[in-house]
Amino acid sequence: MQPLLDVQNLTIELTTRDGVAPVIDDLSFSLNAGETLSFVGESGCGKSMTALALMGLLPANIGRIASGHILFEGDDLVQASDAQLRKIRGNDISMIFQEPMTSLNPVLTIGEQIAEVLRAHQGLSRKAAWTQAVALLDAVRIPNPKGRAGDYPFQMSGGQRQRAMIAMALACAPKILIADEPTTALDVTVQAQIFDLLGDLRKQTGAAIILITHDMGAVAEMAERMIVMYAGRKAELGPVDQIIDHPRHPYTKGLIECVPHIQSEMSTTRHDLVEVPGIVPSLRQFGKDQCLFASRCRYLSEACLASRPKPQEFANAQSADCWHAGDL
Amino acid sequence: MSDLLTVDNLTVRFEVKRGGGWGKKSYLYAVDDISFAVKKGETLAIVGESGSGKTTAALAVARLVNAHRGSVRLGHEDVLQTQDEDLRAFRQKVQFIFQDPYSSLNPRQRAEAIVREPLDSLSSKFAAEKTQIVEGLFQAVGLRPEQQRLFPHQFSGGQRQRIGIARALATQPELIICDEPVSALDVAVQAQILNLLRKLQKDFGLTYLFISHDLGVVQHMSDSIAVMYMGRIVEHADRMSLFTAPRHPYTQALLSAVPTVDRVKRASQKRILIPGDPPDPVNLPKGCRFANRCPMAQELCHQQEPALVSNETGHRTACHLVS
Repeated sequence: MQPLLDVQNLTIELTTRDGVAPVIDDLSFSLNAGETLSFVGESGCGKSMTALALMGLLPANIGRIASGHILFEGDDLVQASDAQLRKIRGNDISMIFQEPMTSLNPVLTIGEQIAEVLRAHQGLSRKAAWTQAVALLDAVRIPNPKGRAGDYPFQMSGGQRQRAMIAMALACAPKILIADEPTTALDVTVQAQIFDLLGDLRKQTGAAIILITHDMGAVAEMAERMIVMYAGRKAELGPVDQIIDHPRHPYTKGLIECVPHIQSEMSTTRHDLVEVPGIVPSLRQFGKDQCLFASRCRYLSEACLASRPKPQEFANAQSADCWHAGDL
Repeated sequence: MSDLLTVDNLTVRFEVKRGGGWGKKSYLYAVDDISFAVKKGETLAIVGESGSGKTTAALAVARLVNAHRGSVRLGHEDVLQTQDEDLRAFRQKVQFIFQDPYSSLNPRQRAEAIVREPLDSLSSKFAAEKTQIVEGLFQAVGLRPEQQRLFPHQFSGGQRQRIGIARALATQPELIICDEPVSALDVAVQAQILNLLRKLQKDFGLTYLFISHDLGVVQHMSDSIAVMYMGRIVEHADRMSLFTAPRHPYTQALLSAVPTVDRVKRASQKRILIPGDPPDPVNLPKGCRFANRCPMAQELCHQQEPALVSNETGHRTACHLVS
């Protein structure tokens, strides 16, 4: 079966004061219809950049796709014209942004903003679009949707704003929904509500979801497969449960172990957390022909500094870009 | 060990414009009649969602906002009554670590000056002595001596938080209030800072009042936990009993909402969803503040506000349905 989205050897370059840096370096992955794929990593590792590239929203004059293909249902989005992209964006592929406060227009009512999407993409009349917008607000479980559609974003709570964003993203029944840290700005109980909602909507509409997050717990609950990104490169890819049980890349291992999780078995003694020392390298380091995680890695050897690790394959299409993946 | 910090019936209110009518003032009770105590050398975590009053409670303890009622005692001293020179002495004993390491450091001062500032304004030590203390602090928080001359923008987020921690340690405080110290940091850096905080606690015998919304972090850091909802403490217990046997429905929902990588736990726990939003803090409803979202609310809950009652093991819960 042909995957819904097939990204091949994608490289994105960002022009900075220090020169050109590959913020996404030779990334390949595929997404099947109805699947949830998660991108995990620290900030500055290229998770959001990947999402922006898929949407054709790279910052103008600064970021550009240097090479590679993004095949959506067989069409290459890299080659697509602006008009074609505009047709796909918000229609077949749509996105939920991190900050529900800043990504809604403060001077338009929620209803108008959702109706706008429907009028632009589906050519609905003003009235039909409004009715549809109210139905969508109902679908994302906003109480009294008829009344709330006339509210401005500032009149809603953070969780409700994020629901409105989801309603907007779902307006045209997209095939792919990209959620860029959809719950980072929200409280945990609201986060649980949003995850619950996303899960239900996926079941109803069959949309594939790309979930970008730094929370391993969220990944474990929401996604089937995950990609761990580090410094613009794929560190590890594979089924979520398998990776959590047995991570093959030291960075993945560090990410899972360094967070204090609530365990099923509580103990009175608390050990120190496992640290991943240091921080993500600066953009200047990106693109070097070596393992970029080497400076923070416990398993460092000469091979790591000599060349960029090749992906090592494991069962169930798990792969890790690390020379020591087999020993871990 | 004895209690270092004792808070009794602390109330903080803010005047708000709306809801009062002509010339009538109305108040938002951000912290409403809370009491707790922290033992010396231990960590009390205050958890709750945004708007629950956890930060305001901490600010009131540190005398950074004015309390409306109640008392705060540090050792034997009544904090809320201290003035002038006593207040300066008090400020040496209680220091604050802020949430955002980007906005809580003066961008125009060098790191050493930032760390030295509490000594300059609160102590009467000699310059040479201060330099020596600053040097020691840099070492204690894991920064290199040559980094003293740098400005905040030359540090990463985690290093900046280390500067913030060094500044809080400068006056050798007894109590440090950590207000979401790691929530602005990346996950891998969080672990570094949490480990550092625990190491410093052991080395210097510090007492922490730890504010956080991240239950995983709280579970790791604290000895006892107070859960706040809409300005009230709804549950207060030691670490083991709160996480293994939460009693208040809100705490249960909060704990079940945390996503976990532990598959055994995920399979065994059912997520309790609490629908809706918290009530309007200015016009609070009668009865229990959580009643409108509580999955097991009964008639009584809408009529009468439950008191925070302790059971025989010291596990305090404010709920009619828990006996």
